[in-house]
Amino acid sequence: MASAKKVAANKAGLAEGPDVMPLRYGDDPYVWACWLYYEEGRTQGEIAGIMGISRATVNSYLADARDRGIVKISLEPARLSSLSIAQELKRHFGLTDCLVVPSDDGSRALIDRLGSAGGQALAKLLKSGDTLAVAWGRTTLSIAENLSVSNLQDVTVVQATGGTRATFAYTPELCASTVATAIGARLVNITAPAIVSSVGVRSAILQEPLLEEQFAVLARANKALFGVSSLRPNSTIHTSGFFESVSIQDYLAKNAVGVVAGRFIDPHGHPVAGPLDERTIGISLDMLKNIATRIAVAGGFDKVPAILAALRGGYVNILVTDAATGRGILNADGVTEFDQKASQRSRSKETVQLPSNFRTHIKKFLNNPNDVVEEMLDGVTKAHAAYIQPVKGSNRSLVAKNGPRKGKVGLVIGGGTGHEPCFLGYVGKGLADAVAVGNIFSSPPPTPILECTKAASGGEGVLFVYGNYAGDVMNFEMAAEMAQDEKIEVRTVLTTDDIASSPIEDREGRRGVAGNVFVFKIAGAACDRGLSLAECEAVTRKANNRTFTMGVALEPCSLPQTRRHNFEIGPDDIEIGMGIHGERGVVRDQMMPADEITDRIMDRIFSEMKAVQGDRVAVLVNSFGATPLMELYILFRRVAQRLSAKDISIEANWVGHYCTSLDMVGASISILHLDSELSELLHHPCDAAFLRVR
Amino acid sequence: MSESAARRLSRMFQLISFAIDAKQDHLSHLDGAIGDADHGITMSLGFTAVNSELAKLDLGRTLPSDVFSAAATAFLNAVGASTGPLYATAFRRAAQALKPLESLSPADQAIIIEAMAAGIKDRGKGQRGDKTMLDAWIPAAEAAAEAVSRGATAAEMWNSILAAAEDGANATRSMVAARGRAARLGERSLGHMDPGSASAVIILSAMREAFTEGCS
Repeated sequence: MASAKKVAANKAGLAEGPDVMPLRYGDDPYVWACWLYYEEGRTQGEIAGIMGISRATVNSYLADARDRGIVKISLEPARLSSLSIAQELKRHFGLTDCLVVPSDDGSRALIDRLGSAGGQALAKLLKSGDTLAVAWGRTTLSIAENLSVSNLQDVTVVQATGGTRATFAYTPELCASTVATAIGARLVNITAPAIVSSVGVRSAILQEPLLEEQFAVLARANKALFGVSSLRPNSTIHTSGFFESVSIQDYLAKNAVGVVAGRFIDPHGHPVAGPLDERTIGISLDMLKNIATRIAVAGGFDKVPAILAALRGGYVNILVTDAATGRGILNADGVTEFDQKASQRSRSKETVQLPSNFRTHIKKFLNNPNDVVEEMLDGVTKAHAAYIQPVKGSNRSLVAKNGPRKGKVGLVIGGGTGHEPCFLGYVGKGLADAVAVGNIFSSPPPTPILECTKAASGGEGVLFVYGNYAGDVMNFEMAAEMAQDEKIEVRTVLTTDDIASSPIEDREGRRGVAGNVFVFKIAGAACDRGLSLAECEAVTRKANNRTFTMGVALEPCSLPQTRRHNFEIGPDDIEIGMGIHGERGVVRDQMMPADEITDRIMDRIFSEMKAVQGDRVAVLVNSFGATPLMELYILFRRVAQRLSAKDISIEANWVGHYCTSLDMVGASISILHLDSELSELLHHPCDAAFLRVR
Repeated sequence: MSESAARRLSRMFQLISFAIDAKQDHLSHLDGAIGDADHGITMSLGFTAVNSELAKLDLGRTLPSDVFSAAATAFLNAVGASTGPLYATAFRRAAQALKPLESLSPADQAIIIEAMAAGIKDRGKGQRGDKTMLDAWIPAAEAAAEAVSRGATAAEMWNSILAAAEDGANATRSMVAARGRAARLGERSLGHMDPGSASAVIILSAMREAFTEGCS
C-alpha cells in the first residue's frame, strides 16, 4: 500500500519528493524547511534536494516563514534595547558615536558601569600624539580608574579646569593625573585655582607665563573627556562645594539645568551668565566646542535634563550613558518611536483583533458617581455605629465612640478614601481617636482635620499620624496651625514605609502605604496607655522606622467617576513598587510565579531590615482590593518560609484587605521589625471595626 | 471697566470652571500617566464649589479681595488634596494684595498673578524646574511684571502671560518630577506634561478671557 511504502521509504532516509514530508510537520512545508535550515543547519541547496523543490522555492519558504511568524528571530531584549537606544541617540542628536550600557542588573553601581564603559570607549578613541583635556567629577574619576592603555606614544593629558580644595575625592588634579598614569601620558596641570576671588586676580594669573603655557596646551587639545552635572541637591556641584561662594539659586533662577566643565548651561545648552564667569579659570564652553572629539560620560535619571541640554548645546559628539538614562533623554526630547520599533519587530504583521467582549468601562456598584464618598460614609456610619460617630453631624470627621478621654493623648489619622478599611476602620478604643476623611485618593482639607483634633483632644496634646504625601502634608500642617490657635499641641509622625518609593538615602521622602496599620496600632496603644505626647511621638516614629512595605500590582484600578483603568499594565507585565493611589510603580517587570514575586519583595525588605537570628516580626499581607484571600495566603506561605529560614519568628500576622486601592489587583507585604517595647504595644488590646486585639 | 470688579472676578471664576470642565478628561488623562488620574475631577470640583459660594455674595457690595477670600475657603474645603491648599493660598494671597482696591487695572491684574504664584510657591515649598504647576505660574508672573514695566495694554499683557505659561507647561515634558506623587516615578515622569501646569494654563487662559472681554 502506498502509505506503508512512504513510511518505509522515509525510515530509510530516502528523499522521494515533496509528498514524503515527515508526519511530524503536519502538511506544512514551511515548518519542514525551517526545521532543516535552522535546527539541522542544512544549506538551502541540501534542503532543496531533501524536499524535492527548487532552491528558489526554499529561499522563498524561509522568507515567508518569518512573515508568517513561524520563525521569530530575536535578540536578547536588554542588549537589543540598549543598541536601539544608542542608535536613536546617535541619529537624533547627530552624534559621531554613542555607547549605551544595558540596563541595570543590580550587581554593580551605575558609576562603575559607566566608568568601565567610558574606559573602553576612551581606549578605542585615543591615538598616539593626541592631546586630551580631562575635566573632573565622580564619573570622570571612575573612568580613569577603569582605564588602561599601554601602546600609545606622545599623548598629553591636560587638566581642563583649575584646581579645587581636596575636600572630595574626584578633584581636577586627581582625575587628570589618574588618566595620564593609566595611558602613560605626559601630564599638564593647570596650576591655579578653578575659581579665584576676583576678576582682577583672574586676569593677573592668566598673564603669568606658566599659565599661558598651560592654556596653550589646553587650546591644542583635540579630544576632551568630561561628565555632566545636574543641579539637583545631591549633585557633584553641591556636594563638592566647588561653587561654595555663590548661591546656586542665582543660576537656577536664570533657568540653569546643568554644568559642563565648570560652566552653567540652560535647557537649550546656552551658557548661563553669572557672577562666576569672570572668576573661573578653565576651559570655556567655546573652547570645548572647538575640540574635535568631545566625549561625555554621564548617567542617572536626575541628570537627564542636564545631559539633554549638553547635547542640544553641541558640547558632546560622543556620548556614553546607560539604557535608562538614554531612554529618558529621548523621551524628554519627544522621541518615543524607538520603543515601538523594537516591539514591532517581535510582532507579526497582522494587527491583534480585540475580542468581541472587549470593554472600556469597568462595572461598579454605583448610583451617582459623584456621590460615592458620601454614600459610602453614610453606609460606614450605619454599619459601624458601635465604633464611630460623626463630629458635629459631618461624616468627614469621625470620632471613636469610646476613644478620647481626659488625660490621654489624642490620636488623629486620616487621608483620602478608596483605601478602605483604611483609615476609618482603625478608629476605636486603643487605636485612633478620630479620622479625617478626604475625597477619593485626596487628602481631607484642614477643617475636618481640625474638627477631629478638637474631638480627640483630652488636654494632653494630639498626635497626627498620616502617610507622607504632598497634599496630606499641606492640609494637616494647615490644620496643626489652626489647632495651635485653639491651644491644642500637635505633634506629627509621617508614615514612610514604602521602601520601593525612594532609595534608602531618601528615607524621609518615601510614601506611607499599608504599613500604616502597624504604625497606627503602636501609636494607638501608646496613647491608650497614657504615655506623654513626646513618648507617643517617639515610639510611633520608631514603629515607622521599623516598618517595611513593598507592593506589586497585576492590574490597575479604576476610579468611580471614569470607570476606566487609570493606565494599562501589559498582559504579561506586573508593576513592582506600586503605590496605593494607582500611581504607577517604580519598575515594570514580566509576570512571574508567586514565590518569585514574594522573594523579590522579601529580598528588598531583608536588605533594609537588618534582622538577625531570633528576631521577631509582625507580618501584614494586604490585598490592593481585587486580589482574593486565596492568593494572599500563597504569598504569606512564602513569607513565612523566608522568615523561618532566617530563624526570624512571626509574632503576629494579618492577612486580608487592610489598605486597598479601589479595585486594583495586587498585594503588598509589610514587616514590622519588633523589639520588646513595640511587641508589648502590638499586643495591647484594641477594638476597632477592622482591627481587634484582645 | 463698567461693571463692578467683583462681578468681573465672579465671571472669571465661572469661565475658569467652564474651561476646566471642558478639559476635565484631558487633565485626568495627563494625570493618569504620572499620577493618580484625578486632577481633572479635583479641579472641576474645586471651581464648582467656588462658583456656588460666590453665588451667595452680593456682588454689588463686595470688594475684589472678598471674592478671592471666599474662593479660597470654598476651594480648600471642597478639594483638600494638594491642589486645595496650593490654590487656596494663591487666592488668599491675591485677596491680601488687593485689599483696599475697588477696581482692577491691568497693573492690578498683574499683581493678582504675581501674588498667586508667590502663594503657590510658598505653600508647596517648590521652585521652577520641579515639574509642577509652578513651571507655568512663575513664568506667567514674570511675564506679567515685565508687561507692566513696559506699559503694555491688558491684551498684550495677557498674551505674554499665556505664552510664558504655555512654554513653561511644555517644558515640563523634559523635566524629572521633584515634588508631588510623580516624584516617586523618577525618570518615568519624563516625556509627560505635568497636569498641574496644564491646568494652570487653562486657568490663566480663562482669566485672560474674563479680563479682556469687551475690551477690544
